[in-house]
Amino acid sequence: MAFFDSLREKAVSTINSVLQDKKTPPGLTKEQWFCREYSLPDGEVVVAENAAEVAVISDFSTSAYKDLNNPEGRIYLTQHFIVFRDAFDRRNCSFTLHVSTVKKVERLPSKSYAVALAIGTQSKLTFTIYLVGLRSDSEKFAQTLKTVLKRNLPNVKKLQPFVQTCYSEYLLFKNNISSEKIESVPPGGLGLLFKFPGNPKELRDKSKMKLWFDLFRVDGRNLSLVKTPMFYRLIRVGLPNRLRGELWELCCGSMYLRLDYQDEYKEILEKNLHKKSLATDEIEKDLNRSLPEYAAYQSPEGIERLRRVLTAYSWKNPEVGYCQAMNIVVAALLIYMSEEQAFWALNLLCDRIVPGYYSKTMYGTLLDQRVFESLVQNTMPMLWDHITKNDIQLSVVSLPWFLSLYLSSMPLVFAFRILDVFFLQGPQTLFQVALAILKINGEELLKTDDDGSFISIIKDYFQVLDQSAHPSSPNPKYRSITKFQELLVTAFKEFAIVDDEMINTHRNKHRDTIFQNISSFVKRTELRNLPKTVNISSDTLSVIYDRFYSVVQSSVTVGSGSSLMDFNAFRTFMSEICRWVKPESDSGPEDTVFLHHLFSNWDTEGQRALSLSDLVSGLNKLVEPDLMTMITNFFDLYDYKNKGKIDREGILQISEDLLYVTNPWKEGYVLDDITKQAIENAVADEVYKANAARESNDGEILIPSQMDIDKPKFEGLQVERYLQAASTFIQRAFEYAQPEEEELLIKDLAIDNTISHNAALNPNTPVFLNLPTFRMVILADETYELLFSKTLRESIQLDTPLDNKINSMRNLRDMFDGLLADGRKVANKVRRRMDSAASNALHSNNNLSVNSSDNTSLKSGKSKIQEEEEERDDDFGVISIDEKDKDLLLGAEAQVLMDPTVDNASRTNELKKFHDAEAAAGKTVHKFEGDNLIEFET
Amino acid sequence: MSFPNPATSVKLVLLGEAAVGKSSLVLRFVSNDFQENKEPTIGAAFLTQKCTIGERTIKYEIWDTAGQERFASLAPMYYRNAQAAIVVYDITKPASFIKARHWVKELHEQASKDITIALVGNKYDLVEDDTEEESLRKVSVEEGKGLAEEEGLLFFETSAKTSYNVNDVFIGIGSKIPEAASAGPNQIHQTNNDGRIDLTSDPNNRPRAAGDCAC
Repeated sequence: MAFFDSLREKAVSTINSVLQDKKTPPGLTKEQWFCREYSLPDGEVVVAENAAEVAVISDFSTSAYKDLNNPEGRIYLTQHFIVFRDAFDRRNCSFTLHVSTVKKVERLPSKSYAVALAIGTQSKLTFTIYLVGLRSDSEKFAQTLKTVLKRNLPNVKKLQPFVQTCYSEYLLFKNNISSEKIESVPPGGLGLLFKFPGNPKELRDKSKMKLWFDLFRVDGRNLSLVKTPMFYRLIRVGLPNRLRGELWELCCGSMYLRLDYQDEYKEILEKNLHKKSLATDEIEKDLNRSLPEYAAYQSPEGIERLRRVLTAYSWKNPEVGYCQAMNIVVAALLIYMSEEQAFWALNLLCDRIVPGYYSKTMYGTLLDQRVFESLVQNTMPMLWDHITKNDIQLSVVSLPWFLSLYLSSMPLVFAFRILDVFFLQGPQTLFQVALAILKINGEELLKTDDDGSFISIIKDYFQVLDQSAHPSSPNPKYRSITKFQELLVTAFKEFAIVDDEMINTHRNKHRDTIFQNISSFVKRTELRNLPKTVNISSDTLSVIYDRFYSVVQSSVTVGSGSSLMDFNAFRTFMSEICRWVKPESDSGPEDTVFLHHLFSNWDTEGQRALSLSDLVSGLNKLVEPDLMTMITNFFDLYDYKNKGKIDREGILQISEDLLYVTNPWKEGYVLDDITKQAIENAVADEVYKANAARESNDGEILIPSQMDIDKPKFEGLQVERYLQAASTFIQRAFEYAQPEEEELLIKDLAIDNTISHNAALNPNTPVFLNLPTFRMVILADETYELLFSKTLRESIQLDTPLDNKINSMRNLRDMFDGLLADGRKVANKVRRRMDSAASNALHSNNNLSVNSSDNTSLKSGKSKIQEEEEERDDDFGVISIDEKDKDLLLGAEAQVLMDPTVDNASRTNELKKFHDAEAAAGKTVHKFEGDNLIEFET
Repeated sequence: MSFPNPATSVKLVLLGEAAVGKSSLVLRFVSNDFQENKEPTIGAAFLTQKCTIGERTIKYEIWDTAGQERFASLAPMYYRNAQAAIVVYDITKPASFIKARHWVKELHEQASKDITIALVGNKYDLVEDDTEEESLRKVSVEEGKGLAEEEGLLFFETSAKTSYNVNDVFIGIGSKIPEAASAGPNQIHQTNNDGRIDLTSDPNNRPRAAGDCAC
C-alpha cells in the first residue's frame, strides 16, 4: 500500500511540475498569471499548496457520482480562495471556493492520508480533501487554512447581501432546495423587463434552465461551484437567459470583484453626479445609437442604465474613458446583467480579457489584428496568398468582430452564444471564431478580388447563420445542423490549437512593431499639434519629444498616462540639455529656484505640470536668437502681473537667477566667447613669436596640436568678469529703477525738497524696473550682453541626442584641444600678426613657417592657410551695440560718475556679497582690457 | 454594339472629427438618405457608389472611418492606397477645422503622393438662414478656402441634411482624378482585372448625362 501511495505521489508531483511549467507570458508575474489562470482578482497570492485528492458530496449527489474515483490534483490556498485542479485534466474537476462560503472545517480521522479535511459550505456542499505527501507539509497546509479563514472573518458579512443578488440562489430557494431565503427577484438584465432576444422555445431555454438547476444542486453555485465536464458542456450549448449574466461573471471572475467592492459602483455614480468630461460627452452622443433595435434602448430605462454603467466606468478608469464599441458591448451585457454586474464585467474586460482594445491608442486592437493576420497566414496559407495578392485589408473586415465581440456583426442571439464561450475561455475564442468564419467561407472568398465583395460575402453569411449547413443532405440529422453550429464546431474543434499560449507567442512577436507604428503615429500627431516655434526646427522638436517622453513616466503606446511633466521630470529634462542645470544628485535646493521659476511661468494651465506644448513654447523663448527679444523674454519671466515692470523683489530675484544661470562660466569650467577670443589671441601671440624667431619661406604656419597655456589665468579672468557683471547688474538695476509713477506724481506736487531726488535708492520706497531700463542695464555689461545674445542660447542644446546627455563639466583642456583642432582661426590670427608686423617693419618676407619644436610640447597638426581677406575677428566684434543704446549707456555712465548719491550706503545687505568680488575684480578688469589694447596696437 | 464605359474604381477615404457628418455625407451620396441617429462607425464602414462624369464612370469604394479621436491610430490602415480623400469638418465647430488641418497634413505626409483631397465644411443647413450678426457659423468660407489653396485641395461647403453640394464633392473629385491613375495605384489589382472587362454588371445602367451622379 505504501508503495502504491508513494508511486501515486510521485506521479502527481511529476504532473504538477509539468503543469507549472506552462509558460508565464512576459509582462506577468507568476502570481498574476495564477490569478488569470483561475480568474481570481489580482493580488491573490498562493500561501500554501499541496497535492490532494478531493471528494465533493451534496445531499443531491447521485450514488453514481459518489462512486466515481476521487479526482487527484493540486490544491492551492490564497488569501481568499481555495483552488483545486485535477492533475490530469482540469476540465475533469476543478473548483474555486471563496473562503467566505466556508461554514465549517472538520478534521477527519484517516489512516491512508496524512491529513483529511471536511469543508462544509454555505451551499451545503461538503468538500473532503485528502492531503497527500509529507505529514509536516499537510499539517502546515491545514494550519495555514485555519489562519486564512480567521483572517477572512471580517469579509464574511459581505456574503449575505451578495447571495441575495444571485439568480442561482433565487432559483434554488424558489424550488425549495435551498434554505437561503431570497427575499425578491435578484436585480438582473433588461431582458427581464423587455424580453430576451430570440425565441425562448427555439432556444430551449426551459430545458437549459432545468439542467443548470440540477447542476447547482449537485455541484454548488456562484462562490462555491465545482466545475465538472457537465459545466463546460452546458456552456457550449448556450446559457439560459436568466442565468446568463451570473454565469458570465462567474466564468470571467468579475463576480469576485462585485463581491469585494459591493458599494463602489453606487459610490462612483454618486461622487460624479452631474460631472462632465470628454468621455461623458462622447458617451452622450452614442447612447441612442447602441443596439437601437432592442426595445430597451428605445426606452429611458435602458438608456439610463447604459449611461450609468458607461460613465461610471469612465470615472473609474479615466485612462480608458470611453471608446466607441464599448457602448455596444455594455448594451449587450445589460440585457442579461444588472448594472453592477455589467460594470464589473466591463472592468475585467478592459483590464484583463482584452486589454488595450479600448485604450486611447487601441494598441490591443491593432496588435490582435496583426496576430489574427499571422494566424490566417499559418492556418490558411492559400487564402492568405489570395488576400495579399489582391491587396485586401483583412483587418478592415475583422476589426469590428474583435472590438465589439461580434455583437455588431452577427445577429445578437448568435453573438451571445459566442460570448458564453468567450467569458469562459477568453480571447482565444475571438480568434477561433474569426478563423472559422474565413475557413467556412474560404471557397467564396477565394473568388473575390476586392475589399467590397470580401466584406459582402461575410455580411451575407452572418445573415444566414440560422439556416442549415447541409440543406441538401439526405440525412435529416445532418440537415438540422445550422450554419452557426457548424461555425462553433469548426472554431472550437478545428482551431482548438489556437490557444492562449499560441496567441501570446504571436502577440510577443508583433508587439514591438505595433508599438513602434503607434508611437510614430502619436508622435506625428502630437508634433503637429504643437504651437509654432520659430527658433526650434522640426528635427529638434522630434528630439525634444523623445526626451519629454523619456522623462515623463507614461506609456504613449498603451495610451495611458496624462503625458504631463511634473517638476522633477522637468528638472531631469533640463539637466540633460542645459549646462547650468546640475543633475539632481549633486545640487541643492538653491539650484532649483530658477527652474521653479521657469516651470511655473511655462505652466500655462496652472496645473503644476507642463504639457509638451508648454515645454516647447517655453524653450522656444529661451533659445531666442534676437538679443532684444531675448532680453524681453527674460524680463517677462519676472513681470508676474504683466504690467511691464518688476518690483524690488523681482530685481533681486533676477540677479540671483543670473548668478545661478551663469554658474558654469562663473566657476570657470565652461568658457564664453570673450575668454575664447582671449585664449586664441594668446595662442596666436605665442605662435607668432615662435614663428618670428625662425624665418621660413614655405608659406606654411604650423599650429601645434597641444600647447601649455596658462589655464588658471584665463579661468580666473572669466570668473572675475562674471562676478563683476553680477555686481554691476544689481548696482545699476537699483540705480535706474524708478519709483512708482503715481507716487512720483504726488511727490512732484508736494514739492518736498527734503526728500532725496533719487527715490529709488530709498529701500522703503517701492521701486520698479521697466523693460527699457532692464535692457539698458543688460547691454551696459559686455558679459551679460553676450549672455543674452549668445552664451545662454548656446548653453541649451535642445538637440542633444537622447543617449548623450550634455556634459556640463567640459574642461578647459577639451576646449583648448577643440580650438587647435580647428586651427584655422588661430592660424588667421597668426597670419594677421605677421602681416602687420611685416608691414610695420617693412619686412620683405611674410612667409613664415612655424615649427613645432618650441617651448611648448607639441605634436604637430598641420593647417594650411588660405590666403583670404578677412575682417579681423580678434576684436570683440560679436558685441555690437546699437547706436541708440550706446548713447543711453554713455549717458548712464556719465550719470554714474557725476551722481554723488551713488553710494553703497544706500544699498542694503543684499549687495554686500557682491562687494568683495567687485573690489577684487577692479584691477583684473583693467588688466584684461590691457590685454585687449595690446591687440589693437599691433 | 455599344457598351457602357467600364467603371474605374477609386478608393476614397473619409476623415474628420467625430460627429461632423462623415457617415451622413456618405449615406446621402450612396442612398440619398439622412438619419438623425446613426450607429457609430466601429473601425470603418465600406460602401460603394458609381458616379458618371462625362464619358467616365467612376466606382467609388468609400471607406468611412470612425471619428473618435482614439480611432485615429487605425486611420493609416484605411487611407493606405487611397486615391482620394474627403476631409470633413463642421462649420459650426472650430475645433473640427483644426482637426481637419491635421488630417490634411497627415495625408500629405503619409498617404499616396498623388492623392486627391477635398476639404468639406459640413452642416451648411445650420447657418443657411443666419443673419450676419447672429450666426452659428464659426469657420468662415475664407478660412476654408485659404486652407484649401494653401494645401492644394478641392473645397466645398455642404449639407448632408439638405443634400446641398454633396454630389458636387464626388463629381469634383472624380474630375480631378487623372484617368490613368484611377485604375488604382496597386498594379496587381489592375492586372487581375485584365481580360475580364467589368461591364458594371448591369447592362441597363446606361451612362447618364455629364454631372448627373448615379445616386
